[in-house]
Amino acid sequence: MRLLVVEDNAELAELLAKGLQTAGYEVDVLSTVEEATSVLLTTFYAALILDLGLPDGDGLSLLREIRHRNNPIPVLVLTARGGLHDRVHGLRSGADDYLVKPFALEELIARLEAQLRRPGHLLGSSLRIANLEFDTRNRQASIDDQPQVLSARETEVLELLMRSKGRVVSKKQVEDHIFGHSGEVASNAIEVYVHRLRKQLAERGAKVQVHTIRGVGYLIAEES
Amino acid sequence: MFRFKSIISRIVILHVVAVVITSVFMSLALSWLLNYATNTIHDEAMQEQAVSVGEHLIAHSDGQLELDLPLDLLGLYSQAYGRYSYAVVDARGHVLFSSLKDNAALFPADKRSRDVEFLQQRIGDATVSGASVKKTVGDHAVWIQTGEDLANRDVLIDDIVADFYRNVGWITLPILLVLLIADIAIFRRALRPLRQASEIASEIGPARTDVRLPTDEIPREVRPLVSAINLALDRLEQGFRIQRDFTADAAHELRTPLSILRTRLDLLEDKKVGHALQQDVEGMAHIVSQLLDIAELDAFVVDPLEKADLRSVTAEIAQFIAPLALAQGKDIALTGATEPVWVKGNPEMLGRAIRNLSENAINHTAAGTTVEFVVEDNGTVSVLDQGPGIAEEERNLIFQRFWRRDHNKAGSTGLGLSIVQRIAELHSAVITVQNRKPNGACFSLKFTPLAAAQAGVA
Repeated sequence: MRLLVVEDNAELAELLAKGLQTAGYEVDVLSTVEEATSVLLTTFYAALILDLGLPDGDGLSLLREIRHRNNPIPVLVLTARGGLHDRVHGLRSGADDYLVKPFALEELIARLEAQLRRPGHLLGSSLRIANLEFDTRNRQASIDDQPQVLSARETEVLELLMRSKGRVVSKKQVEDHIFGHSGEVASNAIEVYVHRLRKQLAERGAKVQVHTIRGVGYLIAEES
Repeated sequence: MFRFKSIISRIVILHVVAVVITSVFMSLALSWLLNYATNTIHDEAMQEQAVSVGEHLIAHSDGQLELDLPLDLLGLYSQAYGRYSYAVVDARGHVLFSSLKDNAALFPADKRSRDVEFLQQRIGDATVSGASVKKTVGDHAVWIQTGEDLANRDVLIDDIVADFYRNVGWITLPILLVLLIADIAIFRRALRPLRQASEIASEIGPARTDVRLPTDEIPREVRPLVSAINLALDRLEQGFRIQRDFTADAAHELRTPLSILRTRLDLLEDKKVGHALQQDVEGMAHIVSQLLDIAELDAFVVDPLEKADLRSVTAEIAQFIAPLALAQGKDIALTGATEPVWVKGNPEMLGRAIRNLSENAINHTAAGTTVEFVVEDNGTVSVLDQGPGIAEEERNLIFQRFWRRDHNKAGSTGLGLSIVQRIAELHSAVITVQNRKPNGACFSLKFTPLAAAQAGVA
């Protein structure tokens, strides 16, 4: 799978390329908006890793240009500014995710994988936490490589949580994911599904924990 | 010296003074002119009458003079009418002819007088004003005097002149006052673009440096001032931009090398050493972030129109911080308001304040306990921990930059609470620090709540 890294700092670009190659990706590196714009016209990449501060322009303008052409390539933005404002601005311009410098390579790869497994994307793959695995292609959960039968709702909740590994999924996000924006949702419906999922996972020996953050949402993590 | 505070008051007061002076002088001048004109007409008429009387003087061969007035003139000078009178006086002062009943002269005779003389004399109740004209008839030099009784009821012109000041003089005052009002209206109208420019100028502040004053409708005389103000604003905006760009540049310059370092460590073969160094980079990155936050806050200005939903900002921070807390075996909870709580302020900055409070709380709360966020409808957000609490004497120290209770404690920069305080200052928010029973601290920030209507939501 080929990725494009647009980063003007040669040293960082080289290290990122090396890290991503170690993780099994092929990587092209460019350093300007101009180069990236022309290369993206002719070459297909699985994802774009884009630095915002580039010598010949703002990375966000490249992003808008890409989206303007209806190019659905997943874009992960790297920024030196940690402000929420920058994040919102970046996401509105069409970025799929963002990371504030400095970031762990592991985090970058995890976020990248989450993007590559987005619904609609060609390349299915599996998500893993401890001995729990979720295959996004056939939406099958397995514990210690043993396929598990879960209800449709439980599967949906599990998939969402595993896609957001390491991050809290708000209750609202779970509601939207399961019920869409239509129809009334019973106030405790989500809690019931999460409770059932937690019970199922524990009974079947999964070494993961589904945390409830009161008033905030849910998070799946390795059992501590 | 007296100084006027406003152009309008200067115009009104000075104009009123000018109006009073002008109206006095104008009526005096008009009244004098009128008097002069009537006197001239009167004198000329009297002289003509004297000449016309003189034309009827006939000198006989015996040296005797005879006055043969036609009927119309006899009527004019009749005692019954009483308005006009005449007398002819010779060089010795003898009255030769007179229309008066005792054959008297109108004016005392004076041989040295010029050929034409205008005189006035009181005779009984009457004031006679007239002319004395010298004429030589035959061998005789005579003075023909004609006069008019000014008190006669047919003499109107004097009454008009006398009344002029009282009647006509006062009319100039209201006319000039109307002029004054018109002037004020014209001036106010002329100043209107300036007033509009002032209103626009009142919107300019550190948060709105892009506003400029319009020059199109500004009077040419004032335009240099307005243009100069606009140029000054350009320079100020430039200054603000340099300050803001600095933090963006600094962030880039500091975080990129850290990124390189971090990635290099991630690629190290020796995972054990790598992990320890990664922790150091994390700590360094944290300090850099906080220093950048402080630098940004020094140049930051809250837009007075900005609003934030305190509940969603808090929820976002709780969501962001929860994995960190869970990793340390600590829990997070968000309680309180269930509906949006709109307050005045910048959402990004509010979030940073709450984030710093929560990082502080997670650092201090005991393992296995919960850090709780409480959002109240009155615009208050509180962060509660179950740590050692804050001693009374430390409550002012904790907000000082780089203050730390324990300088050896890892992950603490002593900057977090000073950032919170600066953000609170910028938003006129009140910080309260209390200890909880049996243990723990509660930090509260009270922001300015907005009514639903102001917040622009139904």
